[in-house]
Amino acid sequence: MAKRKKSNKEKSPIPVTVIAVAIGVLFLIRLYQVFEPLIRNQVFLNGITGPFFAGWKLTALGSEFLSSAAYLVLSLAGIVVLIGFLRLRRWSWVLLMAWTGVSLSISLVDYIYSRPNYAVMASNVVIAFALNINEVQRIFGIRRDDGASL
Amino acid sequence: MAPASDQPTAPAPASDLELLRKFEPVVYFTKGEQFFPTGVEHYVSECSLWEHHPNGRDELLVRQGELTLEKLVESRPAEFGSVRYLRFIEPLNLAESAQVLADQLLLRQKLGNYFRAGIGRLARGGILPRLLDGLFSLSFLLRGKVSAATAAAAELDYHEILTENRQYTYYGRVVRQNGWTILQYWFFFCFNSWRSGFHGVNDHESDWEMVSIYLYDQGGELIPEWTAFASHDFKGDDLRRRWDDHPELKKAELSHPIIYSGAGSHASYFRRGEYQAEVNLPLPGWFSGLIRTWNKLWTETLGQPAVNSFRIPFVDFARGDGLRIGPGEDQTWSPVLIDESTEWVGQYRGLWGLYARDPISGENAPAGPMYNRDGSSRGSWFDPLGFAGLDKVPPPPQMQQMLADNCEKVSRRQAELDKLIPEKAGDLQAKGARLKGMEGNPHLAKLHGALEKDINMHSAEVRNLRREVSENAALLQGLTRRLERLKTGGQDDPRAHLRHLAEPDDPTRVLRFDRLAETWAAISLSLLMFAIAALIFFAPEFIWAGLGIILVLFVVAESFLRGAFVQTVGRITLILAMITTLILFFHFWKWISVGALVAMGISLMFQRLRELTG
Repeated sequence: MAKRKKSNKEKSPIPVTVIAVAIGVLFLIRLYQVFEPLIRNQVFLNGITGPFFAGWKLTALGSEFLSSAAYLVLSLAGIVVLIGFLRLRRWSWVLLMAWTGVSLSISLVDYIYSRPNYAVMASNVVIAFALNINEVQRIFGIRRDDGASL
Repeated sequence: MAPASDQPTAPAPASDLELLRKFEPVVYFTKGEQFFPTGVEHYVSECSLWEHHPNGRDELLVRQGELTLEKLVESRPAEFGSVRYLRFIEPLNLAESAQVLADQLLLRQKLGNYFRAGIGRLARGGILPRLLDGLFSLSFLLRGKVSAATAAAAELDYHEILTENRQYTYYGRVVRQNGWTILQYWFFFCFNSWRSGFHGVNDHESDWEMVSIYLYDQGGELIPEWTAFASHDFKGDDLRRRWDDHPELKKAELSHPIIYSGAGSHASYFRRGEYQAEVNLPLPGWFSGLIRTWNKLWTETLGQPAVNSFRIPFVDFARGDGLRIGPGEDQTWSPVLIDESTEWVGQYRGLWGLYARDPISGENAPAGPMYNRDGSSRGSWFDPLGFAGLDKVPPPPQMQQMLADNCEKVSRRQAELDKLIPEKAGDLQAKGARLKGMEGNPHLAKLHGALEKDINMHSAEVRNLRREVSENAALLQGLTRRLERLKTGGQDDPRAHLRHLAEPDDPTRVLRFDRLAETWAAISLSLLMFAIAALIFFAPEFIWAGLGIILVLFVVAESFLRGAFVQTVGRITLILAMITTLILFFHFWKWISVGALVAMGISLMFQRLRELTG
């Protein structure tokens, strides 16, 4: 029987791969959320056709632009985090957990105001629970081998 | 075994007073402490005696200035539900209250006896404990309490007593029980000023504290083995330390244990420091059950550390940087012997200070050394061994003999069993053979059933005897090993009996930015209320989302200052994920169930097919 070659390189555990895939899915969904209102308002065809503010309040167009910008920030942050995460950096775990928390909060607010996005919610849940796994936390230096928090 | 050369001893025939003096403790108080152990006689002469009747009426029995220890113990019949109590400070009107509070300030200035909390208790707990602490403070509006003016007047009166006669008293008692000689040192204080003086849980008129030393007799010499200090959250075994537990039990001149007294509370500690005492809130049963379930899920399933937020942190400051009383110090003790026959000890069952009508008793004065507040006997008085968990511990010289006796008893039983089991097992086999002989004979069905039942019982008996042999063998091995170890002079770990060790806080470990965190701890609760008020006033349409955001911001700020940012972010996200999971399950339970069933089906099929194909 042929011997399997042992790799010296430390392999990423399955949850890390699952999280990376989930971030990828979220990135695509968030990217869609960035462009969808702009396409709906035909911004790419007609340009910006109205004001963003009426007095101190946002107009409908302003509100759409604001949420589009927020999703853009979330998407870009997701990419930065993903890069750090694949390189197994401690800061990326913290940032990803915080990012997931913010994303979950936004999803819950959307759900309360009857604009649920269940795919985002499910992806966030998968990421949050996967990040909480002991093995993952140990790899990123969040917990010690005895389970205590660092 | 001879006592170690540095082991203090006292001759067994020594008088009780000599024994007490030989081992009397040294008490280190915290700077700012206002009350020290004093005699009861002068205190009682400053008090009036009252009776609180079940209908709520308070009756004056003896006026202030007329009360003596003899009058205190005079027989006075009382109805069920009544409470007899002393009153050290008479009720003060507004002008008198203002006067005593001003005089208290002047006195402290004159004595230079200030207390500085340093990192206070509020910064040692999270935001929820602080919220509960606010509610606890408000609860005094409904509960009976001792007023700040009463505390101030008590401080002034005690200062006068001390100026007239600077004497520090302990009441000593010597008890001999089950081979132990127990020295009890009872300390009486005019007032417990933990809340008003040191941000603690309660204030009450009068305070009784006690420490015990347990000695055993070896060749006519009494040798100290254990010391027990009464403390807030501990009982039984956790109260005592072995005499040779040097880092834990400090001693002056080899024979005098050092006590670090809690500022205002007068609780006794073995080590200098600041101890976090916690008051757990009385929660309804269903709510406690809910918290237990949540904690199980939180710790066992999600691997998070257990959290008990429904508690209020209080600090007991036992710094030992104030007055010191005892052998080798400037101030020494005036001992007084007491026992059951001392009239004020045995015959006065009432409270030694104001009955504040506090339903949870924290502000009511304690009863004397022999009694509890309800007049029942105090455990530490009638069962001083059980009080420190020593009722099951023989004195060292008896230990070897008791172990040897146990070994002999178990060996004897093993010899009995060695004879008994073959007999019983033989009988069982004979019965089994008889049962076999009955098979195939329908007319013996009834007899067969009865014998089968009997065999089952017999079999259980033999099994139990064999289990006993096995357990006895293990027990005998343990007993023999211990006996051999003791014979060669081996000692147990001095802390083996401790389940919870009272450890002082390390203030440097608690907070990252101490001054900022301290300020934040002091103002955060008010800021939270202002923020919520502003939200209600300016943006009521976003009340729920706004409340959520405000709370999260406060918790994150708090965690950052406490150096727990990473853990807090993780915890908040996990809680949000759990809420989201419930929502997803609520909407997609059908799909989730179908998906789970299909996944299980595929997995099972895969396993079975692999089994089939080898």
